[in-house]
Amino acid sequence: MSGNRTTAVRKTHFAIHLILIVGAVVMIVPFLWMILTSFKTTTEATQIPIVFFPRHPSFAAYAEVIEKSDFPHYYLNTAFSALMKTVFPVIFSSMAAYAFARIQFPGKTLCFFLIISVMMVPNAVFYTPQYIIMSKLGLVNTVTALWICSLISPFATFLLRQYFLSISKELEEAAILDGCNPFQIYRFIMLPLVKSALVAIVIIQLLWTWNDLQWPLIINSSPEKLTLSAGLATLASAFYSKYPVLTAGAFMAVIPMILLFFIFQKRFIEGVAFSAHKG
Amino acid sequence: MDMNSRSKYAWAYIMIAPTLIGTLVFWGSPAIYSLYLGFMKSENFGLINHWVGLDNYHKLFRDEEFWRNLRNTLYYVVLVVPLTLVFSTFFAVLMNTRIKGASVYRVIFFLPQVTMPAAVALVWIVLFAQDFGLLNYFLGTHIAWISDPRFAMYALVLVGVWGGIGFNMLLILAGLQNIPRTLYEAGELEGAVGFRKFRHITLPLLTPTLFFTTVILMIGATQIFDSIYLIIGKTNVALPSVRSLVYAYYQNAFVYYDQNYGAVMVNILLLINLILTGFQFMLQKKWVFYE
Repeated sequence: MSGNRTTAVRKTHFAIHLILIVGAVVMIVPFLWMILTSFKTTTEATQIPIVFFPRHPSFAAYAEVIEKSDFPHYYLNTAFSALMKTVFPVIFSSMAAYAFARIQFPGKTLCFFLIISVMMVPNAVFYTPQYIIMSKLGLVNTVTALWICSLISPFATFLLRQYFLSISKELEEAAILDGCNPFQIYRFIMLPLVKSALVAIVIIQLLWTWNDLQWPLIINSSPEKLTLSAGLATLASAFYSKYPVLTAGAFMAVIPMILLFFIFQKRFIEGVAFSAHKG
Repeated sequence: MDMNSRSKYAWAYIMIAPTLIGTLVFWGSPAIYSLYLGFMKSENFGLINHWVGLDNYHKLFRDEEFWRNLRNTLYYVVLVVPLTLVFSTFFAVLMNTRIKGASVYRVIFFLPQVTMPAAVALVWIVLFAQDFGLLNYFLGTHIAWISDPRFAMYALVLVGVWGGIGFNMLLILAGLQNIPRTLYEAGELEGAVGFRKFRHITLPLLTPTLFFTTVILMIGATQIFDSIYLIIGKTNVALPSVRSLVYAYYQNAFVYYDQNYGAVMVNILLLINLILTGFQFMLQKKWVFYE
């Protein structure tokens, strides 16, 4: 009886693995194809029958990407705006979230509602007015325009407030007795308690910034002011059928984030799952 | 003994000030301004505005291209959301069986999520190629995925589902792990196995998660832009069959510089998103089973 059961379990597990492996292959093939194609010559990439592995792996496509586009600037602009759009929202949101979670003050509900209500608005609604603001400030086509609107995050504020609410009040009460002001309580007692939530926010802000396309595309046009994703868009329109060049550019753009992901995979997955779940 | 409440208020306002001001200046007022632009005719990119009432909306509702864009957007949502949901649930249930190596699968399935959509799009251009593309090679077909108006939408749906499974699977997996094991054991004693176990134990308890996932998916899918812009491109004959509201907005506001007409398009999108959210919350009461 128990022997039958183990065989049955083993069979089910085998079937499950089989299905998951098929799924994993489908997920991974585009990545493999990207890498393989990037080392082919244009002729090899457009041959019939299909050539799977480059016969003489060449870096020609990478050389062409580096020559014809401005990847050093793309990297710098993307990394710098990612840094700004991560550090400031983490500081500002955690401060605001603490106040919303723990301090009673007049107008609290209204202020909180004003902040989170923008979460329901699709991003495209903001772009024209934000463009007008940028042009009034003389910031169109500057690196500053890439991040200036996003130093705050309603989403992170909402998320961290939930998190602060779930923490017991006892620790704070002791600190209040000791004469700490709300900022000190936030900074020295509460902030260390929500480290995992802060890491989650760092990760999602990093991912969103790194991957964002539409705003950089709208606001900046000079090559030295573009981000990686907007840079790839110009690459795509210039080299639409030069497959090795497209894939070499794509590979160069994704490699930093994929490396980070492999190093911190557990934190990435937990961070994204956490943020989505609390939201 | 309690802190002076005036200084407490002061601290609270100081702590919320950056977020509140930043939100109002850069996000709140733009949202209002977009509504305002919808009633205006602007010149010099917003320097001079004339009130025109509902003229922009009248023009929009008589514009066949708008209805087509709306239909495209909704068609994309109707295809991408259920497919992503079904695949994500399917893989999440499989991974929740405590098999070995689940974490490896999780990492692989999550990989598209950390990959920039622009880069993904470039790779799919290569995979979709008619003569030399891997997709046609595996399917044994000779379809012009990107430039045939009959197939372009399905190409975009494929990219969307492929990119969305990892994230949504993770959400659903977290929901599954919240279901107490004892419930399954009790179910097994009463003869619930396989699909019946899924149908009568898993599904009812998973509905809050599925509900939440559906909302996020729908809101994301109505805003499709990146893959149309990059994979289909502006000169493609298939563009009219896939052009979404956000893509049309981008064209009108930033290519033809008609920001008022662009604004009415995204204002409609805003309305759709609010209706979807409201509708979902109403339905939630009916079919979501909370413990």
